[in-house]
Amino acid sequence: MEGNRSKFRELLLDVFLLDPSEFRWDLTRSQIDTWDSLGTVSLAVGIQDVFGHHLTPAEATGLASVEDILEVLRRKGVAFGDA
Amino acid sequence: MEMREPETWPLERLLSEDLGVTAVWTTPSVQGRTAARLCFPHRTPFTELEPGTRTLIVVGGGTLIDQAKVWRRERAPSVRLIAIASLWGSGAEASPVAVTNEGGRKVIHLDPAYVPDVRVSWPELAESVSPLRARRACGDAWSHALEGFLSPLATEELRGELATLLSSMLELPIGNDTRWFEASIAACRLQAQSSVGLVHGIAHTLEGPLAAAQPEFGWGHATLCSTFLWPVLSLDTTLSPKTENLFREHGLHFVRILNAARSLFEDEAYDRALPLLEQHWNAVLRDPCTRTNSVLIRPGHLDHFRRRAFAA
Repeated sequence: MEGNRSKFRELLLDVFLLDPSEFRWDLTRSQIDTWDSLGTVSLAVGIQDVFGHHLTPAEATGLASVEDILEVLRRKGVAFGDA
Repeated sequence: MEMREPETWPLERLLSEDLGVTAVWTTPSVQGRTAARLCFPHRTPFTELEPGTRTLIVVGGGTLIDQAKVWRRERAPSVRLIAIASLWGSGAEASPVAVTNEGGRKVIHLDPAYVPDVRVSWPELAESVSPLRARRACGDAWSHALEGFLSPLATEELRGELATLLSSMLELPIGNDTRWFEASIAACRLQAQSSVGLVHGIAHTLEGPLAAAQPEFGWGHATLCSTFLWPVLSLDTTLSPKTENLFREHGLHFVRILNAARSLFEDEAYDRALPLLEQHWNAVLRDPCTRTNSVLIRPGHLDHFRRRAFAA
């Protein structure tokens, strides 16, 4: 489960081309300049590649923070070791 | 987006139609032949048109046609634009996409207003094209069709249309065959409804730097697409089973597709491009095309290209 958290963090670093020092778990979309519409596409592709879950367009466009992404994945059954 | 298609005329109709005051813009490589057949004044591209001009005929490759599409929309929207492709590959003569070079950066424009009013079929213009240019032009069309098919933005209906196109492209020889004109137009038109991917991200990022660093080599969009299609398709396949699954689900034989991509690969071009790919990899990752690749492209994937993992 901690593995999922680590995979998730790596995924976001690569999708949004963030330096590890820039990453925080409370980041919002407005704080990530590469989280534009293409970033959303890229995020959806990455989530499918890494976690095997498809995001619907409504799910993908409704995301506004890192916590939102975690919550969507939790609802799809991905455990992050945070009960 | 509203899809608009240009009227298609044979050359004979262009020669017999009343076009009003007309100007012709051409690329130098075909100017002799256009001057011999088209009895209209040939003007320097992108200079002001004579007052009262009703028709602009543009004859050339994708770069000139795309620039003319943008120029017409911004500078002379009431002028009828007639596009004649001198070689297949880009599909620019029928597409709502226009790619321009702005300060060394490739910018993609998408608007139905970019579609020329008429495209004229003049396949004889491509008869004298060298085998190498002909093959590279095929690579341009293959890249559009494959990346459009694999795009995460493609609908199942669009994938179905692209699968039909890909099947027909597999039956065409890689080389000088004028049937590629229609295949290229279809590839570009369909791809415009989804997106392209890493092949185009690489091509758009490296074309300028390579042309500046190695002007003797003749770098262009088609050369880069041809050279990187096989390595990228191999990477996509390695990273995710969905690439092969999509081909299978649409009745496409993956090995035949991969072999077609492989046949377009150019060793020398790859070796020349690799150092610049390494140098510009961060820009490739940020390119809008790369960000709509079928699988997520990560910083570490540069290693696939460095190690030539696709050729293993």
